[in-house]
Amino acid sequence: MPSTFLQLCCSAMETLAPKLPSFKVLNPSSSSSSSYCSTTRSSSSLRAGLRRPFSLSISASAVREGDPAVGSVSLGHVTRTDFPILHQEVNGSKLVYLDNAATSQKPTAVLKALQNYYEAYNSNVHRGIHFLSSKATDAYELARKKVAAFINASESTEIVFTRNATEAINLVAYSWGMSTLKPEDEVILTIAEHHSAIVPWQLVAQKTGAVLKFVNLDETESPDIEKLRQMISRKTKIVVVHHVSNVLASVLPIEEIVVWAHDVGAKVLVDACQSVPHMAVNVQDLDADFLVASSHKMCGPTGMGFLYGKRELLSAMPPFLGGGEMISDVFLDHSTYAEPPSRFEAGTPAIGEAIGLGAAIDYLSGIGMQKIHEYELELAKYLYENLLSVPNIRIYGPVPSGNTNRAALCSFNVENIHPTDIATFLDQQHGVAIRSGHHCAQPLHRYLGVNASARASLHFYNTKEDVDDFVRALNDTVSFFNSFK
Amino acid sequence: MISSPFNSIVPLSFSSSSSSSGSVMLPNLYDYPRPKRTNFTSRNLAFMPLKCIHKYRFDSSSESDARFPSFSASCLTATDARLTSSDLVADRLRRVVAEFRSLPEPIDRVKRLLHYAALLPPLGDSARAPENRVTGCTTQVWLEAELDELGRVRFRADSDSEISKGFCSCLIYMLDGADPEEVVKVKSEDLADMNVGLHGKSHSRVNTWHNVLIAMQKRTIALLAGSE
Repeated sequence: MPSTFLQLCCSAMETLAPKLPSFKVLNPSSSSSSSYCSTTRSSSSLRAGLRRPFSLSISASAVREGDPAVGSVSLGHVTRTDFPILHQEVNGSKLVYLDNAATSQKPTAVLKALQNYYEAYNSNVHRGIHFLSSKATDAYELARKKVAAFINASESTEIVFTRNATEAINLVAYSWGMSTLKPEDEVILTIAEHHSAIVPWQLVAQKTGAVLKFVNLDETESPDIEKLRQMISRKTKIVVVHHVSNVLASVLPIEEIVVWAHDVGAKVLVDACQSVPHMAVNVQDLDADFLVASSHKMCGPTGMGFLYGKRELLSAMPPFLGGGEMISDVFLDHSTYAEPPSRFEAGTPAIGEAIGLGAAIDYLSGIGMQKIHEYELELAKYLYENLLSVPNIRIYGPVPSGNTNRAALCSFNVENIHPTDIATFLDQQHGVAIRSGHHCAQPLHRYLGVNASARASLHFYNTKEDVDDFVRALNDTVSFFNSFK
Repeated sequence: MISSPFNSIVPLSFSSSSSSSGSVMLPNLYDYPRPKRTNFTSRNLAFMPLKCIHKYRFDSSSESDARFPSFSASCLTATDARLTSSDLVADRLRRVVAEFRSLPEPIDRVKRLLHYAALLPPLGDSARAPENRVTGCTTQVWLEAELDELGRVRFRADSDSEISKGFCSCLIYMLDGADPEEVVKVKSEDLADMNVGLHGKSHSRVNTWHNVLIAMQKRTIALLAGSE
């Protein structure tokens, strides 16, 4: 029974076992299922090689061994029902939530996991020996294993729980950066980086005398990979780059960048905030030294994020925050420190939230990151094409084409109308939630020559109808403001 | 167009040919002669009849017309010159609050702000200088403040966002020409009802009018300090 067998394979691959079987599905290189949609087609695709016919519309909240579903109901339609927050009206219109790059919504399964933690077994972890404490510790450590499996880390000790991706980057900057960087050492970034990827390095550069260098955009309005390559030299100690841009929707070829960096002995920190929630990310394939992501962007609770770091790197890093949990022995005049990850997890962690993140990962894996990614590619295309129909609109980032995929988000401006005015009217008159401002990317906006932009960003629980509603509302908004002039 | 005598008291409600849901329209913002009744400058005189006609003429094709009463009748002008500056500021503040409160639909408040945005006199490009930027706004707002020969604060503002311009317009209506002490006394909470699009209180970064008000007050204090 081949279909059952394949479904078993699917569930084996998606299940959160502590160590994933490194399972390679025979996969002819169909473009959409090969890599993580970097701009170069990577042939080293692996566990995510599910072909579309087998990944079907499995009900998201259910278990992997459901019947293959029928019909052409989209993933968005199927999963929407799992997200109670989406079913409400704002300002008299139904909510159309298109601000997922800022934060994602949470399925019932995650809400239940959180509630259940606090109701049934809330207890401090790693300390007590009583029943509740033991249960909480197990659940917390299981969540760590789930994260490790989700990104295919070799061991769960390579996952450090933090408050968010920003804290994770600060951890690397202060712990690894302060002890490693010397005067004139170079840190390479792109001008499209999020402030959280830039500012911690500015702070550390000030203290150590290291120098920050920035790669500009090329004519496709994505970071100039060629220039990045040329910029990497023996002076480079670390390259800090996003995987997917939260403004441009472009995707960087991380695997290649890592190769270039490693050639000169430099490390690579990948800001995967906009990739981990939307596609399969495999740190073995990427070979990244550090990778960060936030729980709240991947259907998990706020207040939780993680740093992935290669074991040998983390072991050599000094502590970041000091306090309980990260110590081994404490004397009056000195202390000794725990092994990673505990070394970097001072104080009582966000236990419930870690468990919630684990539940989010269960939920996402139940759908399948490949399936999510394919659906979002469709949505990305649909959004981009329909937005182009709005008069005088300028969408930032690369134009989607054969081998250039965009993430399912568009930052844009409409001539002569301030993006904040657009966002306000969309919210007030149409219940459409988008973002306006600089999206924590002021250098990028300065480079693009604008003060602010509007941004609509989708996730797998959005539908093409959401896009239709948005574009219709946007056209109405543009007409409204033009009529005032 | 009929203009009222300058020194009559402005009625809060007025007759108009079409009116929307009983909402109150502020009198033409820039037609108030200042409190000292002997001090009608030629600038003020010129304002009244002409600007009156000009500013209340709407394009009949504009969809917003249905909401705004169309003025063929009296252009509301002067206020009682016996009111002191503090009464004036408090009075204008009450009117603004009352006006926005009378619009229960958030979208109507947006539209009203856009209407006031159109009334804001445009500033030259030189005003869009970095030192005039109001910090903290997601839109760009430029503010100029100076003391006039009578020691009152005069404000001018501009923004790249129409909604922000609307906020500036209302704030200038309230505070332009007021005594410095009055400017400084206004509290953000008094203007909470102007929270167009923001459900909740003033603490969001995007709260433009709050930031502009703070900027007006800071500049006023600086002007006072400078003049002593």
